Amino acid sequence: MHERLSFYVKRNSVIHDLNPLTKVILTLALILIAFTSPWYWTPHLLVLVAIIPLSFIGKVAPEFFRTAIRIILPAAGFLFLMQAFFQPVGDTVIFKFYFLDVTQESLMFAFRNATRVIVMVSAFTFMLLTTHPSELMSDLTRRGLPGQFAYVIISTLQILPQMQAKAQTIISAQRSRGLDTESSFLKRMGSLSPLIGPLVFGSLAEVEERAIAIEARGFTSKKVKTSLHEIPDHSSDKIIRWGLVILVILSIALNLWPS
Amino acid sequence: MAFINLQNVTYKYPLTKTPVLQNINLQVNEGEFVAVIGPNGAGKSTLCYALAGFVPHFFKGEISGTIEVDGVESSKSTLDEWVLNVGLAFQNPFNQISGAKYTVFEEIAFGLENNGVPREEIRPRVEEAMKMTDISNLADRSPYSLSGGQQQRVALTSILVMKPKLLVLDEPTSQMDPIGTREVFGVVRRMAEGGMTVVMVEHKMEWIANFADRVIALKDGQILLEGKPNEVLTSDVLAENGFGISRYTSTAREAKKRGLWKKENLPVTLDEAVEGFKLG
Amino acid sequence: MLEKIKNNFNTQTWVLIPIAIAINIAVGQIVLLLKLPVFLDSIGTVLVAVLCGPWAGALTGALSNVIWGIAIDPGALPWWPVAAMIGYMAGRMAQWGFFKSWWKVVVTGFVVALTAAIVSTPIAVYLFGGITASGSSFITAYLLQTGTGIWQAVVSTSFLTEPVDKITTAMLAFAIIQGLPKRTIGGYPKAEQATVEGGASKNQLYIAVGVVVVLVLFAAFMLRNILGG
Repeated sequence: MHERLSFYVKRNSVIHDLNPLTKVILTLALILIAFTSPWYWTPHLLVLVAIIPLSFIGKVAPEFFRTAIRIILPAAGFLFLMQAFFQPVGDTVIFKFYFLDVTQESLMFAFRNATRVIVMVSAFTFMLLTTHPSELMSDLTRRGLPGQFAYVIISTLQILPQMQAKAQTIISAQRSRGLDTESSFLKRMGSLSPLIGPLVFGSLAEVEERAIAIEARGFTSKKVKTSLHEIPDHSSDKIIRWGLVILVILSIALNLWPS
Repeated sequence: MAFINLQNVTYKYPLTKTPVLQNINLQVNEGEFVAVIGPNGAGKSTLCYALAGFVPHFFKGEISGTIEVDGVESSKSTLDEWVLNVGLAFQNPFNQISGAKYTVFEEIAFGLENNGVPREEIRPRVEEAMKMTDISNLADRSPYSLSGGQQQRVALTSILVMKPKLLVLDEPTSQMDPIGTREVFGVVRRMAEGGMTVVMVEHKMEWIANFADRVIALKDGQILLEGKPNEVLTSDVLAENGFGISRYTSTAREAKKRGLWKKENLPVTLDEAVEGFKLG
Repeated sequence: MLEKIKNNFNTQTWVLIPIAIAINIAVGQIVLLLKLPVFLDSIGTVLVAVLCGPWAGALTGALSNVIWGIAIDPGALPWWPVAAMIGYMAGRMAQWGFFKSWWKVVVTGFVVALTAAIVSTPIAVYLFGGITASGSSFITAYLLQTGTGIWQAVVSTSFLTEPVDKITTAMLAFAIIQGLPKRTIGGYPKAEQATVEGGASKNQLYIAVGVVVVLVLFAAFMLRNILGG
């Protein structure tokens, strides 16, 4: 978990040099096209000709494939199986499994849905691997996103691993005091509060002081915020962004066109 | 005209019955280093919040009297403006880390970014402030990976970089080990020597005796005693009112009763105690 | 409108949201470990909704879901509107005074559950054809195989699974708020919504149990109607 929250891998690549907004738009475009394109093979093609090559261009392929194998494929695989077995569409039965019919249609349906999920998650992963969260946030803040959003996102990313570490500590502490995570339902229900109580109350007690600390540093200042880092936005970035927007519009239009 | 001027300040937190500050009158000159001592619940932190603008701007509640710093009255200002003149640092270094930044350098720049300082100015100001507090070597570290003493110095630097005229410190060393305490006091001393006005709540008596120009003893929201460090810290009144007292003072006080302490004044620090007992 | 959104957010709200998201995720994982038949992964969202307001609750829910999706389970990503709606509805219920005693909190949990069921249905149907990667899809699949229509099957599944989780969540959030010192609550935008009504706690508990029974009967009745008797 700890390393997974700071996805970013520092490398020198064309992708790393892109403006963060360009990468956000790229991610959203990939997802929208995968979900709206009327052509069956679009999501599969996006993975093969866009996302995988991009991960090589961005020099993050090893990290990308590691994440894909560890998180993305298991999730998509599970979805595929669920849908292939349980989706009651079509009548071209390929094989029977107890009362469940696996049809050619349900297989096709499941395959596309699973790939769509793969596109969605791998596009996000790719963006996070090549974009530093604080760069992304300063760029979006510069473009008008309220500074408080940047605060929320980045501090969540930093607090979460700490909270999970705290949860681990509490769990092992309670275990050594006889907490049983394998016992009867009621017992497990009862062990909930000694586990989450300390976690929740401890962190809620900090809120006031932390609010004071950031207000003491102008968090609520009405002045236009500036940024320590200068984030380049080239004309090529703008061209790519507009190109992507047009592709998305095309895909949606094609989807709505005949029917 | 005093730099800090508190006139009859009485304050009550919301939903509470007794005021935490009662009729506080306090004047502090520019460049003075004032230490505030007092038992738990004396109103020390509230006094800090009042000086730093958080009472009444952040905590609501009822306030009467006037709080003035550098000729501006707190109730007529906003918190955003007030914090530009008055910096506040407090006990828990962990809670003072904004959480919005990944490196110490960025963390220190946070206040400047919020207040719209132009980019060209941010970098040199952060570098200068880090030099002052001797943390330049931590610039690229994550604020969360530091020791308590280092974090507290980062918190102090984050305030100092905003160039406040008054620095308010609420027990900044209470969670530090001896090394951390020394580091933090080193920074505070440099600030004071540079002419900054400092109000510091502290219970480490020996440090106060070495640094402060004046000591204020607070109890039940009122000023009990006020004066030169040695006079206040060795006063019998403190001992009778449940204040924390330097062990050298209390030892010497006992010794004096038995005629073993010959000097007129009681000691606060180890050095003073050693010197006094040599006479005997 | 904009003013109403803005008044949900003060500095304490902004500081609380990341903590609430972390609570959602950490508690969600603890519950997984205990193998309890609930999720409880929106306790933080409900806390924010009650203390700060519906819009802050909605934001917390949505962000939680996105971060959970990115960091832990990618399959969670498309469900962010549901999480947002849970926060929004919990905040609205608190605004209407339904977070001040045990039985009212039970009602809040139930209403939040219904809302979640309604919002999640189109996502399940359109994106996944009714079958998602969640364990409760076994129920949906069973209903589909027995010839139930897809919308009915998905809605009934949610009706069966959501209320227990959301009522437990709301009650835990209520217990947490009750356990917080008054001074800690005072600084949030909607602190007054979180002040607890007086009254004998024994009576409150009886009413709460009664309300649960009524709600269960009501849910059963609705289910029967949805499934067409």
